Amino acid sequence: MATARELSDFLEAVERRAFRQTAYAVRDDHASLDIVQDAMMKLAEKYGEKPMAELPMLFQRILQNTMRDYWRRQKVRNLWTTLFSSFSGSAEDGEDRDPLETIDVQDDSDEPSAQLERSQTIKLIENALQNLPARQREAFVLRYWEEMDVAETAKIMGCSDGSVKTHCSRAVHALAMELKKQGLGKLGLLELEVSEQGLE
Amino acid sequence: MSAPENNTNEIDSNMSEAHVQTEAQLAHFVTDLLDEHAQHVTAVTAKRLSAARGLAVEKLASQQAQTIHHGGNVLSWFGSNVEQYIAHHRTISVAVVFVAMLLAFLATQQFSVNTNLENSDAFLLASDLPPEAYADKGFDTWLVSKRD
Repeated sequence: MATARELSDFLEAVERRAFRQTAYAVRDDHASLDIVQDAMMKLAEKYGEKPMAELPMLFQRILQNTMRDYWRRQKVRNLWTTLFSSFSGSAEDGEDRDPLETIDVQDDSDEPSAQLERSQTIKLIENALQNLPARQREAFVLRYWEEMDVAETAKIMGCSDGSVKTHCSRAVHALAMELKKQGLGKLGLLELEVSEQGLE
Repeated sequence: MSAPENNTNEIDSNMSEAHVQTEAQLAHFVTDLLDEHAQHVTAVTAKRLSAARGLAVEKLASQQAQTIHHGGNVLSWFGSNVEQYIAHHRTISVAVVFVAMLLAFLATQQFSVNTNLENSDAFLLASDLPPEAYADKGFDTWLVSKRD
């Protein structure tokens, strides 16, 4: 059984990553915070008695399911909004974000130009990730970002191992194509083109 | 299997392995950047995440404290499990309650006591008028109009 301290340490280690992952999926920072908070509460309520080693996979499963619930509610909400209002869609959240409020946890000693290039690269990657189909993004995040194995990823996604591999492969390929389109081919991503035919 | 076929299979296997490695390299490149960027959040976001974490930890701590306090109490174990079931299956629980209320209402209607004492035997025997009077249809009409 995980102790309160262990749960706290675990959540502290994953909360920001979970927030980012959710934000890429739902594209709404406020909703992402709500989803992450719900997932944390559900983990504590339903799986508090589970051992520490199982928490990462359980948390990811809860997080993905909570995101799906959010999408289902959004579909219903958007349906009513479309029916009864001429104004539709959710507003962009960019106006609320003040760049000056950003906390730099790590003190980056790189040159300003390198920092700018890095932040632009990250922005491109974020956009590319957001533009992926939901299943491919989910497979990529679980398999590579959360470093889960194929079986664990398949269990969380509710699909076969083969599907996970396919989704991952397509996700990486799509990311490579998108990044190359944005001029990041110099990073050695062209090798994927050679094996493009193998993916079809 | 002939030598050229062996070579072809080996080449295919090597290419496949190379593809997987390149795929993994790109994935790790992307996730390393994402990991680094994930630490950069606004003050408001960091505060909310911290608060959410605190609530979850508090919830776990209180659940574990309750478990220790009640020990092997069967009733409290049963109660907490029922509570959890209801919390996790809200729709079914609401439906069950609604059906139970409907059945209770129907049962009440079915077995309710007939309060129309005027038609009961006890009323007839205790009444000042003879029973034959109540058999007269004209008297029945007068009785209803008088009541109105």
